[in-house]
Amino acid sequence: MSGVGIDAPGSTQLFIGNEAIARGALEAGIGVASAYPGTPSTEIMASLISVAKEKNFYAEWSVNEKVALEVAAGASFAGIRAITSMKQNGVNVASDFLANLVMSGIGAGLVLVSCDDPSTLSSSNEQDLRNIAKWLDIPLLEPATFQEAKDMTKWAFDLAEELNSICMIRSVTRIAHARGNVRLGELPKKEQKAHFDSICPVVPTLPKFISYPSAWLHSQLHAKLDKARELFESSPFNWYTGPEEAELLIITGGSCWLYSLEAVKALKLENKVGILKLGTIWPLPQKFIELHLSKSQKILMVEEIDPFLEGSIKELVADLPPDAPRPTFYGKHSGHINAYGELNPDLVIEVIASIMNLTYESRPAEYSKKAEEIPFTYMPPRIMTFCPGCPHRATFWAIKNALRLDGRDGFVTGDIGCYTLAIGPAGFFQMRTMYCMGAGAGVANGLGKLGQFGFTQPVLAVCGDSTFFHAAIPALINGIYNKSNFTLVILDNNATAMTGFQPHPGTGITGMGETTTAVDMEALCRSLGLQVDVCDPFDLENSTATLLKAIAQDGGPRVVIMRRECELVRGRRDKKPPYKVHVDCDKCLGEACGCDRLCTRVFGCPGLVWDSESGKATIDETICTGCGVCADICPQGAIIREAV
Amino acid sequence: MDMKVKGSKELLTEVIDAGLCTLCGACAGGCPYLVSYKGRIVLLDSCTISQGQCYQYCPRTYTDMDAISQQVFGTPYSGDELGATKEVLMTRSTDARIKESAQYGGTVTSLLSLALEEGFIDGAILTKMSDDKTPSVFLAQSTEELLQCAGSNYMACPVLQALNQIPKDSEQRLAVVAMPCQILALSKMRQEPPQDRMNIGNVKLVVGLFCTWALSPDGFHQFLKENLNLPQVTKFDIPPPPANIFEAYTPSGKISFPLDEIRRFVMPACAYCLDMTSEFADISVGSVEGIEGWNTVIVRTDVGAQLIEMAKEKGKLEVDTLPPENLAHLKEASLLKKKRALQEIITRSGDRKNLLYVSLQQSIIDRLLA
Repeated sequence: MSGVGIDAPGSTQLFIGNEAIARGALEAGIGVASAYPGTPSTEIMASLISVAKEKNFYAEWSVNEKVALEVAAGASFAGIRAITSMKQNGVNVASDFLANLVMSGIGAGLVLVSCDDPSTLSSSNEQDLRNIAKWLDIPLLEPATFQEAKDMTKWAFDLAEELNSICMIRSVTRIAHARGNVRLGELPKKEQKAHFDSICPVVPTLPKFISYPSAWLHSQLHAKLDKARELFESSPFNWYTGPEEAELLIITGGSCWLYSLEAVKALKLENKVGILKLGTIWPLPQKFIELHLSKSQKILMVEEIDPFLEGSIKELVADLPPDAPRPTFYGKHSGHINAYGELNPDLVIEVIASIMNLTYESRPAEYSKKAEEIPFTYMPPRIMTFCPGCPHRATFWAIKNALRLDGRDGFVTGDIGCYTLAIGPAGFFQMRTMYCMGAGAGVANGLGKLGQFGFTQPVLAVCGDSTFFHAAIPALINGIYNKSNFTLVILDNNATAMTGFQPHPGTGITGMGETTTAVDMEALCRSLGLQVDVCDPFDLENSTATLLKAIAQDGGPRVVIMRRECELVRGRRDKKPPYKVHVDCDKCLGEACGCDRLCTRVFGCPGLVWDSESGKATIDETICTGCGVCADICPQGAIIREAV
Repeated sequence: MDMKVKGSKELLTEVIDAGLCTLCGACAGGCPYLVSYKGRIVLLDSCTISQGQCYQYCPRTYTDMDAISQQVFGTPYSGDELGATKEVLMTRSTDARIKESAQYGGTVTSLLSLALEEGFIDGAILTKMSDDKTPSVFLAQSTEELLQCAGSNYMACPVLQALNQIPKDSEQRLAVVAMPCQILALSKMRQEPPQDRMNIGNVKLVVGLFCTWALSPDGFHQFLKENLNLPQVTKFDIPPPPANIFEAYTPSGKISFPLDEIRRFVMPACAYCLDMTSEFADISVGSVEGIEGWNTVIVRTDVGAQLIEMAKEKGKLEVDTLPPENLAHLKEASLLKKKRALQEIITRSGDRKNLLYVSLQQSIIDRLLA
């Protein structure tokens, strides 16, 4: 991953899109990088932070995306180029500051990278961040190739400085995580000096970096966009390939450009179908597009998630002179392109074939059917589940038992993290609400105030440790202030585990590897006057009893911290399991009354395997991490753990 | 009445959620799914066993009274007021310490103490009250420990859960002190011994308690907590009619509550119970109306008779005949419970020939309804 720092101009490297973006930032001479991890954006910062010391810049994992953007803005205000990266949800978190920031303008180049996640491969929502550029008047670029990812990012800093505006790069999973060749440019060598100059060049009595007077600044912002549009008219990131008169014109950008290119080639329609590839997505280069609109009477917009290009281009067409030709549009509104989710070359082939009245089978139906069937003849069906040895499984076991024992139909409100798997069998279906980071605690605030309406169900909010710092603290404080009746369970595994074990304010180590003050969440909660219990989730009995006690209480919120290091982190460090675990077959009751396969059917750790031939449970030694919790689950004491 | 043995799901719908659970504990503790907690039986997870021991031993699922009576006494169920009896006596302990802490005559403690001393049993499962007067199951293995369990608080307690938790390879010989519903479940266990659980043959002595009804531990304990300084209470009692009160003994005197105030905490399941005197026990023990400090004792089996004989010989018990008017009144009260329960069962079943859970000969039904 640290290949992004190679000082070999002109050489070609194989980069994932996120590394290409990071490299672009390095070539632009950033002094500061900030981010909150979130798939598919994480590797941008991960690769930057790995070379930050060597390249003499500052990089940090921030507490959340809003702060990350503010950190980058602070650097920009003092004349230091800065980049901040986040996933689409993160931009929502940062959006309040972002909407203010666009009003004032910036100091040195400031770039916000948003990685969208079409089809929500690892997100709690599907969202098209191109819209925020249009909404907040922010110039936005979208790379279609890995080379572009690097080049656009580098150029975005120049652009930002020229326009005096933050600029955005939008990427998607298939750019962020796919890999391709990138030809490297020069890395700047100059020393940077930070200085904060607050004098507004227009009104010297006003500070430079304020979003006021807003109405006047808004007009200035529109002027910046007009300038951007003008610059984009001749941008090398926009181009047309195809015949001068096309039967069909595809307008596309980003990863969809490659799908379109592949589809046209597969259909051998290079002489009939033209492709207008756009890289400057907002504001759109109006004249450049108008020039190419006349190439065909049929226009297909190939894009993922929202009909952003489709709507924007239809707006352009609406403004054309009355005598201009009105093409037929194909896209999401016509039903040709999926209204949500990812696209792929096969889907684009189907759409083009249907518009052009062609029959094309990307592969024989028989082949497709066989390809779908084959995996299931070799692989057992698997559910999404926690890793072997994951503390969350034990935590949700205790939560489930505590809520059942309590007997008042209590439930868990949650948010996004590894523990989101608790919406399914991995966490015994305990999580009953799941929204953005911190939402479990926030939603619990509302539920916890419904006593006057006869609401007696215990409310148990969960959040991860990183999420606690990111977004749960205000919700917790709100609960104290407004006396909301809920229990907050912090699943403290000492890492931002789902995105790759990034450190956070509670871990005592910075993103750049320096030791720092670990923010003590327990002390923090106690300082708020809260009752705080700390449990080891592997101590199932104590965890269940502690949770029972907490949910039985009335009044304002209370906190239970379930503290146990992420097993993947522990395993990597310790290199050996704490226990050797095996099943005593003579004791295992299997499917008989008294057990009914509790360990393999209900507890469901992947390290436990049901051997249908012997009718006994066994341990899969290749994946068992030796946590030993299953020994406490087994009602017969048939699972034996021996200290290693 | 469905004779089929079913699973935990049906136990939940047909018994627990239907308000028929007596909290005997027969379904709990033998598997990871069913446990008792604060006066409720809780299903922690779904179990897919279609014919479970939880359902099988429940005293409110199909119960063949004749088969059980055959198993215990070698005769069919008679439906007589007091069940099968060898002798009905009046006894009290000769041990001053036992008498001091006893609810009535200290007979149960004396008998168990004797059985332990003589090596007839290794331990006794009974109910113990904590300082805050919550009932819990306890395995007593000495006279000292037996004394800690003396006295009643009238709350249901899942005694049989403790039995289900005994390791299957345990050779400990046990006595069980229990309520009629619990002894009915225990009899079902003895009739068809549990699989992969304790050896039920290790239960060597069953001491039954007289019971008109039991109180729901959850609700009643809450009531007690609200009205009394519980750690200070030394004894609870329901004196014989016509007092119609529930009494708590405290250092500053007795505090009494009208019985009607207490009755709202009676387990709904008790309305369907045909048994006041623990008819399937070896020995059944209760109070003697109007004669303080004595117990009524019904000796039912050879085991029970031997133990009483031994207690007499060793001078552990003072034994007398129960005055005829007391016997008559005991029978009357027991019959009344049977009649009321049968009526409730019939009403709930909606069919005299197809009773809720119990199989009874038609002649017995007719006699009880007469």
